[in-house]
Amino acid sequence: MLVIRSEQIRKLLRIALPFAIMPSIVLLLPLGIQSQYYALVSFLMVGLALLLFLTGFERREIGTRRMILVSVMTALSVIGRLLPVFKPITALTVLSAMYLGAEAGFLIGALSAVLSNAIMGQGPWTPFQMLAWGLIGFFAGILEKPLRRLPLLLYVYGILSGVAYSMLLDVWTTIWTYKEFTWGAYAAALTTALPMTCLYAVSNLLFLLILRKPIGDKLLRIRKKYGL
Amino acid sequence: MNPAAVTVHLLLTAGITMFCMEPILLLISLLCAVVFFVMRNGGREVGFHIAAIGIPVLFAFINPLWNQHGTTVLFFINQRAYTAEALFYGVVAGVRLAAVIYWFRCFSDLMTSEKLFYLFRHLSPKLALIFSMSIRNLTLLRQQMRKIRLSQRAIGLYREGHLIDDIRAELRIFSILVTWALENGILTANSMSARGYGIGKRSSFTYFRWHTGDIVLLAATVFLAATVIAGIAAGVMDWQYYPVCEPAARRLPYYGVLAASGLLAALPLIHEGKEKWTWKRLRLEI
Repeated sequence: MLVIRSEQIRKLLRIALPFAIMPSIVLLLPLGIQSQYYALVSFLMVGLALLLFLTGFERREIGTRRMILVSVMTALSVIGRLLPVFKPITALTVLSAMYLGAEAGFLIGALSAVLSNAIMGQGPWTPFQMLAWGLIGFFAGILEKPLRRLPLLLYVYGILSGVAYSMLLDVWTTIWTYKEFTWGAYAAALTTALPMTCLYAVSNLLFLLILRKPIGDKLLRIRKKYGL
Repeated sequence: MNPAAVTVHLLLTAGITMFCMEPILLLISLLCAVVFFVMRNGGREVGFHIAAIGIPVLFAFINPLWNQHGTTVLFFINQRAYTAEALFYGVVAGVRLAAVIYWFRCFSDLMTSEKLFYLFRHLSPKLALIFSMSIRNLTLLRQQMRKIRLSQRAIGLYREGHLIDDIRAELRIFSILVTWALENGILTANSMSARGYGIGKRSSFTYFRWHTGDIVLLAATVFLAATVIAGIAAGVMDWQYYPVCEPAARRLPYYGVLAASGLLAALPLIHEGKEKWTWKRLRLEI
């Protein structure tokens, strides 16, 4: 086993590997090579990123209360996904990440994806959805301070995350349908998914507008009251 | 069957289907998946079948529209050639998509949340706990939501059949639910700490064990899948679609790999058929 001595580098790697390096390999791969193995490699990368985070999670101290709150918020966003047309799942993930932290955000996003797919049907897209929602939650957790201070930034983040979610899943659609990634096919997939992208962005914005104050206040209150 | 063995089988079967473009292999895979699905569901789910059949048709139609490769021109649309090769490629890609969708549909029918939990358990006990508690919270919160809705209605704070009032009521119910869920979560956490959660190692209970049948399934799956993957990697199954369709060389390895993949896809059918037969025999003996 390779042992890295410096605690700081270890910590940096632990966060950077699953969240920055792996996803960027997935996204940048088509620029470098035009290989038929791209689909396979991107699949493995997404799987590895998830696995790395999830196994690393075991060794971390997260606290019983925070853990339970993660499961509660996951259940709430899964219930939210059963709503027709407009889905508050991203909004709820972002809001809980803002108050419970980046790791909790990743977990809530990724777990709601698996759980709601257990109800609505799993597919090869599940790992991509897990990663997409997980990352949305993770970055919301990293940006928690500015997001809490500036509501406008939060709304922009909501819209952007809707677009980013759709774009990431379209990478999947493209490589899966045509086995290799070409920009033409990706553009075609993006255009066909445009109504869905708008729907995601609009419903994120809508639910963030509605839920920001009440849910945020509740989470803040719990945080203050129980000292999380 | 042990969920781990089933998952390995499904991931390998669906994975091979996903990453191979050999029409006959794909057709066998699709057939096995459809038969397995029908064996488990009977004549139900007609809508799903129609949607699944629609996919190859749709792909066959769309692929030639943006794909200009291929030499056999069938006709022109807006001065763009519509070639037979592209049409064929579209059909094959559609069959592949339909097969994978069928396999995953079978998978989500088989994998209850209990089994998913069993798989997660190996990854991280902490995570498995969060996962199973989320499932529990799901039903708990839905029950609580019903209670809140009933009591809100009993107080009579809003009219029924009024759109804006309905939305406001739903938001109110959701808000009450969130407050309750968070407080309840904290109570659960306190109770867990009081009972000594986090001290020492956790053990977990499960129904699933490894039986001989599971090990046989796992071994057969791994062996067959390794054969097929080795065959694909060695280029035995390579088809050329553009500019002219050129099938893979029909030699002994080709048939070997095809047979292995067919057997791999047929494993669940064999198991399901055997179980059905045992059931029938047992009933006849009564």
